[in-house]
Amino acid sequence: MSRDILVIGGGIAGIQAALDLAEMDFKVHLVERLPSIGGKMAQLDKTFPTNDCAI
Amino acid sequence: MLDVGRHPNIKLMAYSEVEEVNGEVGNFRVKIKRKARYVNEDKCTGCGACSEKCPTVVPDAFNEGLSTRKAIYTWFAQGIPSTHTIDTEHCRQFQGKKCGICQKVCQADAVEYDQKDKFVELSVGAIVVATGYEVFNPNRIPEYGYKEIDNVVTAIEFERLLSASGPTGGHLYRPSDLKVKEEVPALEKSLKKLSKALERFEKKYGQKSEEFYKALGKEEQGNDPDKAKWAEAYEQKEEVSKRLSEYKAILEKMDVAKKLAFIQCVGSRDIRFYPFCSGYCCMHSIKEAIIANEHEPETNSVIFGMDIRAVGKGFEEYKIRGADHSSITYVRGRVAEIIQLPDKTPVVVYEDTMERVVREEPFDLVILATACVPNKGTKELAGILGIELDRFGFFRTTQANPVDTTRPGIFVCGCADSPMDIPESVAQASAAAARAAQVIVETEMKKAS
Ligand SMILES: Cc1cc2nc3c(=O)[nH]c(=O)nc-3n(C[C@H](O)[C@H](O)[C@H](O)COP(=O)(O)OP(=O)(O)OC[C@H]3O[C@@H](n4cnc5c(N)ncnc54)[C@H](O)[C@@H]3O)c2cc1C
Ligand code: SF4
Repeated sequence: MSRDILVIGGGIAGIQAALDLAEMDFKVHLVERLPSIGGKMAQLDKTFPTNDCAI
Repeated sequence: MLDVGRHPNIKLMAYSEVEEVNGEVGNFRVKIKRKARYVNEDKCTGCGACSEKCPTVVPDAFNEGLSTRKAIYTWFAQGIPSTHTIDTEHCRQFQGKKCGICQKVCQADAVEYDQKDKFVELSVGAIVVATGYEVFNPNRIPEYGYKEIDNVVTAIEFERLLSASGPTGGHLYRPSDLKVKEEVPALEKSLKKLSKALERFEKKYGQKSEEFYKALGKEEQGNDPDKAKWAEAYEQKEEVSKRLSEYKAILEKMDVAKKLAFIQCVGSRDIRFYPFCSGYCCMHSIKEAIIANEHEPETNSVIFGMDIRAVGKGFEEYKIRGADHSSITYVRGRVAEIIQLPDKTPVVVYEDTMERVVREEPFDLVILATACVPNKGTKELAGILGIELDRFGFFRTTQANPVDTTRPGIFVCGCADSPMDIPESVAQASAAAARAAQVIVETEMKKAS
């Protein structure tokens, strides 16, 4: 039995899931296949509908 | 993003992949491959001296190939982790040529060409899959001329063109003009070389190249190999200088793109490809048109779509604001074809279905709103995890359990499940996290009782 959790993919969804679980005091292993996390959102200039900066 | 790198409860393994999963909810055994970066993560300070000196230039995938990076690189400037990585497919050292420059210049002694992939085995109680999506490849619709027509780009490429940290510093230059700009230095170099060659001939024979060439009968060239070379060099020089002056004329007139066409549902709502609506692309076209107009207030945009799907809090208002304040026109109709004029102007051929007429309209730049499709490697990952895919190739879920996959203890969120925007992805991620926490607590309680 393990309390650890594996999150696969470090885009906005994986980042959010990892942070939520970490805040609940679970130990999280976040695996991302690219050299850095961020996913597609990191490539966006700004986001709708507020035009906030993506990163 | 920063929080993930710093959180004491999160172990971040970037540049890594899941290789094997066994066991069951509460007790999965997982094997992870930590791919060799050939740069020591603990030593690398991210200073960038290595990439500055690296001689190998490679298209930059983060910028969708619209700029270049080096063979030793970071994914993007603010990336986490900021460790550099060597792209062995291009690196001279790994391709058997002499180099080793990055290792020499690294002050931190972090470059390790002999690094090997490492394998990590973990035991976890639950798994959350958040592997996202890929954009539809518009080459599958040849009528749109993607990659054939320089000034047709995808929406994600356009995001990079809009970005202040992108390949053009946020200036909306047309890719055809950028290509010309890029070619000028090489042409200038070749012109210089050819001119020097001609000078040598002129000195040797005491005659101007132009006069020599005019006086020269074609047959004679074959007789004297040296003069044939001279004639050839002269022809080449004429050709290069003609092209160079054409290019310079283009660059003199070069201006940012101010008339934009956005084409909706490229690959989505199309029975030839994906019948579903990708949900977010109407909104990102409106967003991109608004931002382009903020950068350059003379910008006008036309969004061509069957209808505009602005479903979400504040979305309809955003759409209307785009029309009222950012010079966006919405045209109902599907684009049949994009053609290119000799000056590289793309022309959109479409039927305005409100007015029932077929029209052709030139634009500076055409942006394709491509569908959200399953990510590369999704099928393989589904095999490793032992979970099912739906008929489109996304991970299968049901309406009653929208974040549960077909295997207990494995959950999914974001675009790995289906197309959705950022707020929806975040909400689903919180739901998947809660479900993962729940099954662990349940397993613990079962064990205790
Ligand atoms: C042009 C464009 C503009 C957009 N603009 C907006 C906008 O303004 N506002 C908005 O709300 N939405 C916008 N979207 C939608 C937005 O991009 C998505 O909603 C969001 O990125 C989904 O996040 P995700 O984490 O699910 O997927 P992704 O961002 O795709 O992240 C998935 C991550 O998983 C990694 N990964 C994939 N496979 C594996 C594997 N096998 N192992 C390990 N890691 C893996 C990937 O490398 C990636 O880092 C836009 C989309 C496009 C195409
Ligand atoms: S969101 Fe708009 S562009 Fe995207 S598939 Fe749906 S209708 Fe087409």
